[in-house]
Amino acid sequence: MYVIVVGGGTVGYYMSRDLLERGHEVTLIEKNSSRADWLETQLGSIVMRGDGCEVKFLSQTGIERADAILAVTADDEDNLIALQMAKKHFNVKKTIARVNNPSNVEIFKMLGVDEAVSATDVLLAALEPPITT
Amino acid sequence: MNVNGKRKWSNPNKPGGRHHYRPPYNQPALKLLIVGCGRVGSQIAADMDRFGHQVVIIDKDPNQFSRAATRGVLTTDFKGDQVVGNGTDADVLRRAGIEDADGFVAVTEGDNRNIMAAQVAKHVFKVPRVVARIYDPERAEAYEKLGLHTICPTIEGAKHIEKTLLETH
Repeated sequence: MYVIVVGGGTVGYYMSRDLLERGHEVTLIEKNSSRADWLETQLGSIVMRGDGCEVKFLSQTGIERADAILAVTADDEDNLIALQMAKKHFNVKKTIARVNNPSNVEIFKMLGVDEAVSATDVLLAALEPPITT
Repeated sequence: MNVNGKRKWSNPNKPGGRHHYRPPYNQPALKLLIVGCGRVGSQIAADMDRFGHQVVIIDKDPNQFSRAATRGVLTTDFKGDQVVGNGTDADVLRRAGIEDADGFVAVTEGDNRNIMAAQVAKHVFKVPRVVARIYDPERAEAYEKLGLHTICPTIEGAKHIEKTLLETH
């Protein structure tokens, strides 16, 4: 699979590393150039410096042939816009968002994101015993 | 607002009346939400309030309201409400009364925040009139194509300046 990861924070870094270890092709997009430098020392030349919400920049990432795009920055609005651009402009089949505000899970789906994952929801699900009916 | 939730009009013909403005007789007052209390947001809020509309202005930084007051924009005669919170957060928007809003304006400093807030207003809460400011011309065009009303001050401002420049001898 060819996967594009937007946001090279902790989540984006480990996600990219894992995908590479599983043998996938990855491009990791990071806006902050000093962070991108560090990511490059860890992951090699898969890192691209730029804004994952900009159509012109995205078109340089080979996004047309991407199987999936993951937006995992700490800002929900940036994740949403990056994925909408990927979907509407480049027809990426699978768009997946990290959602920081749990109430955005539903909203992202209404606005065209395929999967929205909230860490808060995952943690709460781990805490609560399963509901028996 | 009075107890019935209806706006009380001051008599527009009364000399020396403090609020001279009211919507034209055939236009009801609108409930308007404005996200972002910078120069543009506070100006719109003050104007719309003076025109007799019911205004709620939202900003995540409470200091923005006092800054606007210092600039003489949102002064003590502003009758609208000020809400502190993130304007892309559905809970904050609900608290600000988005469910029965007639209009929504997104004018924060962040293009993406404006785009997201405007889409939440339009597609989740079905607000009939929604406008977003987007500085990036490409993003503005992309979302205009997707049916969002966008204002791009970069292009508008540049055009305006160029026109003035070429007209001046």
